[in-house]
Amino acid sequence: MLIRTGIVTQKLLEKALPSPERRAQGPYAMIECFQEIPCNPCSISCPFHAILPMEDINELPRLVPDLCTGCGICAGVCPGLAIFIIDESKGDEKGHISIPYEFSPLPQKGDVVMAVDREGNPVEETQVVRVVQSKKIPTPLVTLEVSLSKIHGIRFFQPIKNEENISDDRQIYPTTTIEPKEAEEDTLKMADETIACRCEGITLGDIRRLIREGYTTIDEIKRISRAGMGPCQARTCGPLIAQEIARMTGVPIEDVDPSLHRPPTKSLPIAFFMEDN
Amino acid sequence: MSIPSSASVVIVGGGVSGCAIAWTLAQKGVKDIVVLEKDTLAHGSTGRCGAGVRMQWGAERNCQLAQFSIDFFEKANDILDYERDIEFEQTGYLIVAANEKEAAQFKKNVALQNSLGIPSVYLTPEEAKDIVPHIDTSQFVAATFCPKDGHLNPFHTTEAYALAAERLGVTILKHTKVVGVEVKNGKIEAVNTTQGRIATPIVVNAAGGWSKEIGAMAGIDIPIYVQRHQILVTEPLEPVLTPMVMGFSYNIYIQQVPHGSIMMGRSDDTEPFDLRVTSGWKFLEEMTRTCGTLLPYLRSAKIVRQWAGHYCMTEDAQPIYGPVPGVEGFYLALGFSGHGFMLAPATGQMISEMILGEPLTIDVSDLDIGRFERRELFFEYSVV
Repeated sequence: MLIRTGIVTQKLLEKALPSPERRAQGPYAMIECFQEIPCNPCSISCPFHAILPMEDINELPRLVPDLCTGCGICAGVCPGLAIFIIDESKGDEKGHISIPYEFSPLPQKGDVVMAVDREGNPVEETQVVRVVQSKKIPTPLVTLEVSLSKIHGIRFFQPIKNEENISDDRQIYPTTTIEPKEAEEDTLKMADETIACRCEGITLGDIRRLIREGYTTIDEIKRISRAGMGPCQARTCGPLIAQEIARMTGVPIEDVDPSLHRPPTKSLPIAFFMEDN
Repeated sequence: MSIPSSASVVIVGGGVSGCAIAWTLAQKGVKDIVVLEKDTLAHGSTGRCGAGVRMQWGAERNCQLAQFSIDFFEKANDILDYERDIEFEQTGYLIVAANEKEAAQFKKNVALQNSLGIPSVYLTPEEAKDIVPHIDTSQFVAATFCPKDGHLNPFHTTEAYALAAERLGVTILKHTKVVGVEVKNGKIEAVNTTQGRIATPIVVNAAGGWSKEIGAMAGIDIPIYVQRHQILVTEPLEPVLTPMVMGFSYNIYIQQVPHGSIMMGRSDDTEPFDLRVTSGWKFLEEMTRTCGTLLPYLRSAKIVRQWAGHYCMTEDAQPIYGPVPGVEGFYLALGFSGHGFMLAPATGQMISEMILGEPLTIDVSDLDIGRFERRELFFEYSVV
């Protein structure tokens, strides 16, 4: 079961897989996102509108396979690394899978790596045929050439520790720490349209307007706008709103009261508490 | 913000009652009104309440006050010229009777309500199921329903009153705590706050959970006690529950708000009398069992938050309105016993009429503080 093991079941995968006809036509996005969370970068980033707009940000993404070109943008923006680009149309029993990869060092074209399955078990040695990273694809996509018959089982890879296999001018994926001052400037730069509370769809512009109206505590802003009332309970937007209050009122951020967290820490069904445990 | 050195009326408490009183007085032409709030607007019981409004009461006064208030809420966005929305929705209250004794009381309640023009009806469990399809009819013997009951947004309602009051010149001071009430020769002279002193001939105590303390500052022992009441809310669901469902001996009120979340609360008689607003485990167990039994369909709904606020209770579960013998200029608007939010428009009207010496729209002279000593109490049992 996904929620216990972290490994997606065959049944769910079948739901996400486009038709055999579509798969034979060219690359497509395989979206392995099965838990409703407040997240929508895939849907808003797709230039072909192949991922349907979400009415509620907690919805699961829905792909229209016929509109999808397999461009990889959704896979490169998905914060959960849950989207893969699969191309089964190459013929000669080989296919391509593009995997979002956040580790350092980043492999390069021509590297030989060990393709692994969803549980991390080795499947076969393969070659990296392409590495893409751009402004539109912030998370690097590493494309492997793998056996067509094994392509639906392969979801990751491990470097093979082999001296010959490592070149000198590797790109090191930077680890950045944001200093408070920089963070402040960052919010300043953020547009009014930026979503501050993703659960409720409240923009930074809405928050700024309330602060200008005289609501200078997280609690007041929440009560008037609903920012922080959704499933994440301000765990995401709380610090951002605090930072904006501090910036606009000139109060040090340490003096902005944090949002009050209440139980439960994680949302749980009513039935869970009815049991005698 | 600088604090004025004097005022014609000082209202203690920036909840919905305080803001409604301020607006009503200002709208009648009273100048130099100050509202003092120790935290932020609607920070106390108002902002923590279940947000329902109903006319289905057992005591005549509560019925009348609620009727007045619902009439006001229907037009409040316009009257208060509010640019957001108070979100008033009249989706009704279905109240279930758990046993024959309660059902007999409900028949009397409906007769009283109908005599006052309240359109409530008495229903069999099967008829109730037509209104709430997911309800387990084996759990109750009868029900009453009033389609004009409903719910609205407490934060927006308080804000609507506050903004309208400010436009009429009322000064609302947040983060300003009252630390003393000066009484000289049986008359109110001033209030002292954390920001300074305000000379005033009139103080209205609308401080909710803290109103007993404010009373003590004026030398008055107000016969109320404060108890924690808890609520929980689920993630938003598709519309499944139209009216508020309520049971008194069943001990539940549960409502799906327009946003989709299911909100529910219940009472606990064993709660100590204090000002805690922490969250407790016992409530969570009892509440989920009650809800999961009456509305089994909701068992899979996920809880996202559990919070608490105060009920400021009187012995007869009706408010205390009006002047205090022996302290001229001291008025009470408190002891709402869990239904102060829904009565706010009437509270504003009653207190303004008392201060200005106008005839009372509803004769609430019997809801004075003296009724407890006189033992002239009108017990309201229709309370969760």
